[in-house]
Amino acid sequence: MSLRMFICFISLLTAQAAWGEGALKDVEIDHSPAALRRGAATVTSVCLPCHSLKYLHYRDLLKLGFSPEEVTGLSMGNKPEAALLALMPPDIGEQTYGRVPPDLSLMAKAREGGPHYTYSLLTGFYQDKTGETNNHLYPSIRMPDILGWSSADAAQRAVLETQANEATAFLVWAADPRAAERKRLGYYTIAYLVLLTGLLYLIKRKVWARLG
Amino acid sequence: MAEDEGVDEKRRDFLLTVTGTVGVAGIAAACWPFISSMNPTLDVQTQSNTEVDLSGVAAGATRTVAWRGKPVFVVHRTPQQIAAMAQSAGGKDPAPDQARVQEPQWLVVVGICTHLGCVPNKTEEGWLCPCHGSVFDNSGRVLQGPAPRNLEVPPYHFAATDKIVIG
Amino acid sequence: MAQRLIAWIDQRFPLTSFIKRELTDYLTPRNLSYWWNFGFLAGFLLMLQIISGVFLAMHYKPDVNLAFDSVQHIMREVNYGWLIRYLHSTGASAFFVVVYIHMARTLYYGSYRAPRELMWWSGQVLLILLMASAFMGYLLPWGQMSYWGAQVITSLFGATPLIGDEIVLWLRGDFVVGDATLNRFFALHYLVPFFIVGMVIIHLVALHHVKSSNPSGINLADKDNIPFHPYFTAKDLFGLGVFLIIFCGFVFFAPEFFIEAANNIPANPLQTPPHIVPEWYFLPFYTILRAIPDTLGGVVAMGLSILIFAAMPFLDRSRIPGGARFRPFYRAMFYIFMVDVAVLAYVGSQPPGGLTFKIGVAATVIYFAAFLTLPFLSRWEERWLRARGLPPALQALLDSETEPKPRREAR
Ligand code: FES
Repeated sequence: MSLRMFICFISLLTAQAAWGEGALKDVEIDHSPAALRRGAATVTSVCLPCHSLKYLHYRDLLKLGFSPEEVTGLSMGNKPEAALLALMPPDIGEQTYGRVPPDLSLMAKAREGGPHYTYSLLTGFYQDKTGETNNHLYPSIRMPDILGWSSADAAQRAVLETQANEATAFLVWAADPRAAERKRLGYYTIAYLVLLTGLLYLIKRKVWARLG
Repeated sequence: MAEDEGVDEKRRDFLLTVTGTVGVAGIAAACWPFISSMNPTLDVQTQSNTEVDLSGVAAGATRTVAWRGKPVFVVHRTPQQIAAMAQSAGGKDPAPDQARVQEPQWLVVVGICTHLGCVPNKTEEGWLCPCHGSVFDNSGRVLQGPAPRNLEVPPYHFAATDKIVIG
Repeated sequence: MAQRLIAWIDQRFPLTSFIKRELTDYLTPRNLSYWWNFGFLAGFLLMLQIISGVFLAMHYKPDVNLAFDSVQHIMREVNYGWLIRYLHSTGASAFFVVVYIHMARTLYYGSYRAPRELMWWSGQVLLILLMASAFMGYLLPWGQMSYWGAQVITSLFGATPLIGDEIVLWLRGDFVVGDATLNRFFALHYLVPFFIVGMVIIHLVALHHVKSSNPSGINLADKDNIPFHPYFTAKDLFGLGVFLIIFCGFVFFAPEFFIEAANNIPANPLQTPPHIVPEWYFLPFYTILRAIPDTLGGVVAMGLSILIFAAMPFLDRSRIPGGARFRPFYRAMFYIFMVDVAVLAYVGSQPPGGLTFKIGVAATVIYFAAFLTLPFLSRWEERWLRARGLPPALQALLDSETEPKPRREAR
């Protein structure tokens, strides 16, 4: 009864989330280690000039399978324990764009639609009639069309799609770098609990059998 | 039912033992994340090395730098001090001076008394701990007082002739 | 050795007799179904929340400039910090799931009836304390939802006649939700659980005095009562295992399920997110609040919607035992009420708008109507059942319970 109500309520909630994402491109994000590394390279070279990922440290990139030398290369002279801060000082960002460009550490979790939001934003630029760049997902966005999507032809767009996909995969990782560890521990925990619950069920049956 | 009772009893006992063991093991394992969370966090564990520029430290002077939150004494020893230290074997915890330095004029020791953790004060002859009076020489070796061991030498290396990296 | 130790303790503390009285000799109705597991699960969750909360508090910083960062520090740098935080955040939602099921069971089987009114009322106090604790805890991550949730809910107190503004200012200690608010919410969020523990003890003492209710709704004969241990310890532990499998499924594989996306954005007092919603467990009450266009009226209605449960022992005037089991109309009403609560919750999750608003108003009316018509419906239903002739089994049950009491005339 009540349990069913709860499940029904949950499915209502998820259904609602699905309707809200109408404008988002529903692509399959490639979370393979190689894609993550390429995404890290894209984000550190393309996004990091303006956006910080302040909850991430260069040393954390080692967990993606980069060698220490590669991390040194990505870190542009920063120490491994330094946070990934924007190259542009915050006040310059505020002057240029009207506000400090948002931190990207949690971006993949901080918008409805999660990764699909960042992907759709990056590939949502277009040129309006007056030749101004604008964005379908975020009208009159201040952020420039950093991948050059709006002026790319079909062949170039195929390349950019991959790039946006990989950058998104990296942002998903950056928002939750412990996800792989969490899932691994989760499998062990659930397996253990199934075993324990099975044993408890046998005991329960055995004890209650005494009542006849 | 009646004839199985003995068998049943045994089986239940066995089942109880197994379940009890599995359950206790699980509870013990579940405690670990909580205990572990009180250990130093990742950012503390991966704290940076400390670089010290030696060029500003005159002979006879000491610079105190922080390395992973601990004070480290970097002493520019005079030739007289080096000579005196080379002759002495230390006190309670004998150790040759050469084994405690990389370059004789630079002594690098962790400035934490090996007794109960106070920071010793510099004197002409070395250090005097204000808490319980342990005395250390200019090689950081304990001469008197309750401190059991010499001042610790941290891991460090010379990145250049006038620059060391501690850690 | 162990026996001598126990003897030594028993001389000084009633250990053995306590265990005997409250566990091995404590008689429990044999026919309790798995719906009776949820009280035990709520107790387990209370312990889990306290333990995980204490460990989180070792790393959390209640300061507007540090709170959000310190939560990310827990998630990324503290050993197993992510696990402890997800246990705590998922645990909060699980707590409400379990408590709401526990309440629904009580309503379905009429367990609030004499002599268990004090259990029901102490449970009511527990629910309010739990809500207070959850609400204050939700501010602590200092995300956008945290902030605006606290801003809106504290503003509700502004509806108090005459001194509303002063009360809001006093609650926040600032003109908006600010550092003072965050700090006091942290202090109180840490304190309230200990009140909950105290109230749980009262709840349990009352339970062991009046004993568990059971699906039949009457006091069972001696032969149908069995000791709590080992029968119900085994059953409860098995239930806990099943619960933990589901719970860990969320903790490890969908931990953000109960966390709003906007709460991953640090609180910004200058910008409200486009669509703010309270946590799911407050949604039905939030809809009732919004259904009434007047602030004071809305606040009063919302408060009543929670407090009205306390009146159940008086509102339900039927003397047919077994709650909804033998009462077709009450049963129908129970299910309508459940659906109504689900509708209220759904409406609460939607942005305010024309049609959803109307549905919300209708569902609010049904919500209160269910309670207010109960006295008449329950009386009428009892007469109807008796006139039709009770099923023999029920008649036997009824006779065995009502015989010693003088029968009151049906009005
Ligand atoms: S701490 Fe230095 S002598 Fe005791």
